[in-house]
Amino acid sequence: MGVLEASGLVKTYGRQRALDGLTLGVAAGEIVGLVGRNGAGKTTFVEVVAGLIRPEAGRVLVCGVDALARPRAARALAGIAPQETALYPAATVAEHLRLFGALAGLRGTALRRAVDDIAERMDLGGCAGQPTGLLSGGQRKRTQAATALIAERPLLLLDEPTVGADPATRARLLAVVADRAAAGAAIVYTTHYLPELAELAATVAVAQAGRIVARGALGDLSLDKVNALIAGPGPDGTAQDRGAEDGNAADAA
Amino acid sequence: MPLTLPDAGPRVTALVRHNTALMLREPGPVISRLVQPLVLITLMHPLYAAALAGQGAQAGTIQVVTGMLVMFSLLALSVVGGGIMSERSWRTWDRLRATQARAAELLVAKAAPALALLIALQAELIAFGVVAFGLRVSDPGLVAAAMVSWAIALLGLGMMLGAILRSQSELSVSYDIGGLLFSALGGALIPPGELPGWAAAIAPASPGYWAMGALRAALRGQAAATFRDAAVLAAIAVVACALAAWRMSRTSPRSRLL
Repeated sequence: MGVLEASGLVKTYGRQRALDGLTLGVAAGEIVGLVGRNGAGKTTFVEVVAGLIRPEAGRVLVCGVDALARPRAARALAGIAPQETALYPAATVAEHLRLFGALAGLRGTALRRAVDDIAERMDLGGCAGQPTGLLSGGQRKRTQAATALIAERPLLLLDEPTVGADPATRARLLAVVADRAAAGAAIVYTTHYLPELAELAATVAVAQAGRIVARGALGDLSLDKVNALIAGPGPDGTAQDRGAEDGNAADAA
Repeated sequence: MPLTLPDAGPRVTALVRHNTALMLREPGPVISRLVQPLVLITLMHPLYAAALAGQGAQAGTIQVVTGMLVMFSLLALSVVGGGIMSERSWRTWDRLRATQARAAELLVAKAAPALALLIALQAELIAFGVVAFGLRVSDPGLVAAAMVSWAIALLGLGMMLGAILRSQSELSVSYDIGGLLFSALGGALIPPGELPGWAAAIAPASPGYWAMGALRAALRGQAAATFRDAAVLAAIAVVACALAAWRMSRTSPRSRLL
């Protein structure tokens, strides 16, 4: 059984179908790079698994816990870094880490150790006492990711964590993600940067118009094919390449 | 893997500490709400004392203290609603919702520092009235009950507005106009008996009307009237809090503020 098993997810916004039967599973220790053009359903998928929005249909299991019926129980098993940076400008980096560590159930010495550890791993030690409103973009990105990574969880949902990040920030984050996967975490990593997925040795899942249209190791899927699939139809159905629109059955691996 | 959820207490404690720090780090609105009414009470006391001299020695003092208390606590809604609105504009509310904390825990933790502020503001003004103008408090327990019921009603109203409105400017307009309107209709500026007939007729629609009633009755030691008006305030609080909780638990990550 995978750590994350999502099947048949459907979510519509008005007349736009953001998820159209999306099915995706992630095993322990696996990194799945979820790629696709804007509007393909990547962020909606993360928000559904995180319990921030409810789909009209489908099922999500996190370590066997039904995330739609018991969203809090499922969230206890997941670390989540949303796409948009969400920090308190007046609160310091250390305060963010302590807050999200405490919300993840860490206490006392374990909390202090986790704060110190993730601050060091994400190179935030030098700015731990600074309000996030005064930080650089890279430091803010690292702080956001650190709030998701502070507690070790079986599932990590990282939604475009490196957008706008400098190379050093990207390298730090990728190293921590790789370590977590090596420790057995299942990771969903949405991105537009295929080289990051190659660096992480991730499985690639291509989302297109709310479905997964191809999945496989980056080495098995040709870069041209992945790029063609990513450039496929958007949420409005404006097709550029519908070669793999059989959806989840089109497993290129 | 065994599933163990940490209990709510430590989560709420962490959130209350965090929200208190946030409020104290931007102290301007808090200081403003605490200092302004002291100035106005001092300047306006002679006027109210003279105008209401025929109703007894305490009437003017009770009117000016309770009136300024109600008006400035309504204006202090900006602190309550602003806190919710900021969470939405920073997108931190969704970030918190993605943790194990329940929506109710998030709201309670957001409300606790604001509730402390609202009670502190009222206690400060009553104490100032006692020390500076000889305001008599017949039954401190009744006054405390009136203050708490008004603070809870304010909290609910502030959270409801913070949850429903779409921008800081909408929030400012609501507090500025609503605060003055509810204060005036409630009899905070002009005693209810002196309001024009049409205003007196619609005055009970203002939460300030019930707050003025509860506080005046409490200061005079009238238990039945205090609890009647406090019950109305509690009902307002329940409805407003329920609306706020409903709205905040269903905030879509895709809903954008203006």
